[in-house]
Amino acid sequence: MKNAEIHETAAAPRFRKERGSRLIRQIARRYDLYLMLLLPIAWYLLFHYGPLYGLQIAFKNFNPGKGILGSSWVGFENFQRFFDSYYFWRLLWNTLSINLFSLLIAFPIPILLALLINEIRSKSYSKLLQNITYIPHFISVVVIVGILTVLLSTNGPINMLIQALGGSEIRFMESAGWFKTIFIGSNIWQNMGWQSIIYIAALSGINPQLYEAAKMDGASRMRRIWHVSLPGIVPVIVILLILDIGQFMNIGFEKILLMQNNLNLEASDVISTFVYTTGILKGEYSYTAAIGLFNSLINLTLLLLVNRFARKTSETSLW
Amino acid sequence: MRKHWGKATISTMLIAALVLGGCGSGSGAKNNASEGGGGTEVSKEGFPIVQEPVKLKMFTRIAPVNGPFKDMPVFQDYEKMSNVQMEFIESPTDGFAEKKNLLFASNELPDIMYRSAISPLEAVRYGSGGQLIPLENLIEEYAPNLNKLMEEYPEIRASITTPEGHIYTIPGIVTLDSARTDKRWINTAWLEKLNLKVPETLEELYEVLVAFRDQDPNGNGQQDEIPITARTGLPIVVAMSGSFGLDQQFGYNVNIVDDKVEIWMGSERNKELLVFLNKLYQENLLDHEVFSHTEAQYLAKQGSGNTGVFFDQTNNNFLPIADQYTGIAPFEGPHGDRLQSQGAPVPRDQGAFAITSVNKHPEVSMRWIDYFYSDEGSTLLRFGREGEHYELVDGIPTYKPEFATAETQPKLTPYAGGGAPHLISEYVASYINPPQVQEAQKALAPYMPQIRYAAPMFDEQTAQKVNTLRNDIDKYYEEQSTKFIAGALSFDKWEEFQSTLKKMNIEELQQIYQDAYDKMAK
Repeated sequence: MKNAEIHETAAAPRFRKERGSRLIRQIARRYDLYLMLLLPIAWYLLFHYGPLYGLQIAFKNFNPGKGILGSSWVGFENFQRFFDSYYFWRLLWNTLSINLFSLLIAFPIPILLALLINEIRSKSYSKLLQNITYIPHFISVVVIVGILTVLLSTNGPINMLIQALGGSEIRFMESAGWFKTIFIGSNIWQNMGWQSIIYIAALSGINPQLYEAAKMDGASRMRRIWHVSLPGIVPVIVILLILDIGQFMNIGFEKILLMQNNLNLEASDVISTFVYTTGILKGEYSYTAAIGLFNSLINLTLLLLVNRFARKTSETSLW
Repeated sequence: MRKHWGKATISTMLIAALVLGGCGSGSGAKNNASEGGGGTEVSKEGFPIVQEPVKLKMFTRIAPVNGPFKDMPVFQDYEKMSNVQMEFIESPTDGFAEKKNLLFASNELPDIMYRSAISPLEAVRYGSGGQLIPLENLIEEYAPNLNKLMEEYPEIRASITTPEGHIYTIPGIVTLDSARTDKRWINTAWLEKLNLKVPETLEELYEVLVAFRDQDPNGNGQQDEIPITARTGLPIVVAMSGSFGLDQQFGYNVNIVDDKVEIWMGSERNKELLVFLNKLYQENLLDHEVFSHTEAQYLAKQGSGNTGVFFDQTNNNFLPIADQYTGIAPFEGPHGDRLQSQGAPVPRDQGAFAITSVNKHPEVSMRWIDYFYSDEGSTLLRFGREGEHYELVDGIPTYKPEFATAETQPKLTPYAGGGAPHLISEYVASYINPPQVQEAQKALAPYMPQIRYAAPMFDEQTAQKVNTLRNDIDKYYEEQSTKFIAGALSFDKWEEFQSTLKKMNIEELQQIYQDAYDKMAK
């Protein structure tokens, strides 16, 4: 999926330069490919552009009985209410900080893992390692949180160990201080293997002659990683980073919701869970549509900034 | 030729995609169009309700203990009796609120909302938007049983009528006192073993709980007893607040003294209450899982016999060891207060039944539900068929033994799991109100407030205002109270807590409730 998007966008500028009539002729010649494209286009229109129409409820006092058009306009009242809300700064800080820490800590780890696996000589051992690290990806979030709760409960194995070593019990799941550590740590455990697959694929695409040449020049293993492997996958890293930023404000909704309780809410209350509990459970559609829109605007800004930064510094970018 | 074909296909498919997309957002509107009766004659009395069978779609909550509704004798028999065929859309308790709100938001409505716990705020929102139809005239004409109850208990009408005079939902009605309170169960087997007497005050309660913790009343040599526990979250606060003179009026943290409404969340009395609960928590007297255990785990704790004090309406969940426990009176607090603050009003289960705008047979629907507000209909709903599922013992319906277990009983009736729209009177309460529970209720009775006001109805604008205020305030109150009790927040922060509540305009909320009370009092 990610690869497909990259190709599409990379191909787009080339067409733009050409003249209209030639474009049509080309489309006609390759109509079978365009037919295949129709389905994704329909999907985008239906599920991504269609709902944009409903966005107007962020500026209305939406009552489902009156419909989207029939509800009255209220201007920026819903936004005002959110900015004035006691929870505004807390939600914003938690959303940004959880994602920022995830990015700083969790993003580089799959790269390191991929480099490590790439360096292992024994084929069977590296396959085994790869399998073991990416199996957790297939466990459902509910089960993961269940495992965490059991492991970290006051009479769970980890607290047993702490007490056996003379420490006092720690209420991991019920403290705001531990929330981010547990959330990000378990995310790394669950996803690093899966996320490293693309890097491993990119690494295997590097011309072996480069390694041989480096070896001839007397480069050590670390040097070869630094000067051959890493530069070889930098474009992939940048693209994945930008795609990650595109999801920046939405990461981990289900997991956060499942881990949330009143005792860790100070650290776990994020925009997406707030929208769910206030919007869907309490029926405040307009208010939460406004919050959701605000969320998307922040996300879009971040995406544009990172893309621009990437284009300037590494000449790799989405557009 | 080939090229033309290609172009044509592309354009047709693009248009098709666009049209389909358009349909998706437009489909909501067409549900509203169906109006007007289907030409069926509704008889005002007796059965069947209609000569020609009528089909209705019912959206209902289904509790984990229930079986499918279509297998319940009440619905099978009542379908034959009334000529109304119900199609059940069952939604589990978990995630029910989400499902319900999505039905309204997407305007894909069933004919009837059953067991739906529509809050007063939701009723006003969806009623004023036209998705729920006003029921007051239908009740007048087609609901003799409900009408009679509403005359007998005026608080029912007050709690469901909006300021404009509309009724959008019908509650489950509980005339039996005992079905509206959680009893205070104490482990008398432990008391006897440790030679203690039943605690009358909070201080004595504290002593007893310490003894439960330290003196190994279950005799297994380990300190694994749970001295006191309660349902998940803040029900422990509701259960104990009466000892500090804090009542639960309007289904909220509200005291009404001398016609003055006070929201007591920021009061000094509430601080004392939280300090007391914090002490219980810190000293391992209050179950540390009280904020995290599930309902099922809590019920298992009741049945384990390893719990000192807990709160529940009946003894159904610990029947096998019921003789170990006794229901006792509220505890007297430091200022001499002794109040059973926890309790529900006569219209107990709010928003249990509603009729939507797509329903083509509102009269039939009203007559259909009204039957369950009679002792006869309620008996059918709760007990099934005479001779097969129940027998009359001393003139009172009583389950046959094979249907009186925690396994079989909830499969038989839709009331198990709570919230069904029907009448709960003394006549139909043999199962939930056995002698032990009656005794426990007697212990509470002297300490009940004189009147229990149900949550008031507001007009649309006020309801919106209350909604906005309470979303912030309640979330804050719940989170901070939990933290105060669990010791995650020190009481040094109490003034900050008070001032934040003030910033969230708690005084405005108090004034709104005051106005609602003044209108009611008139």
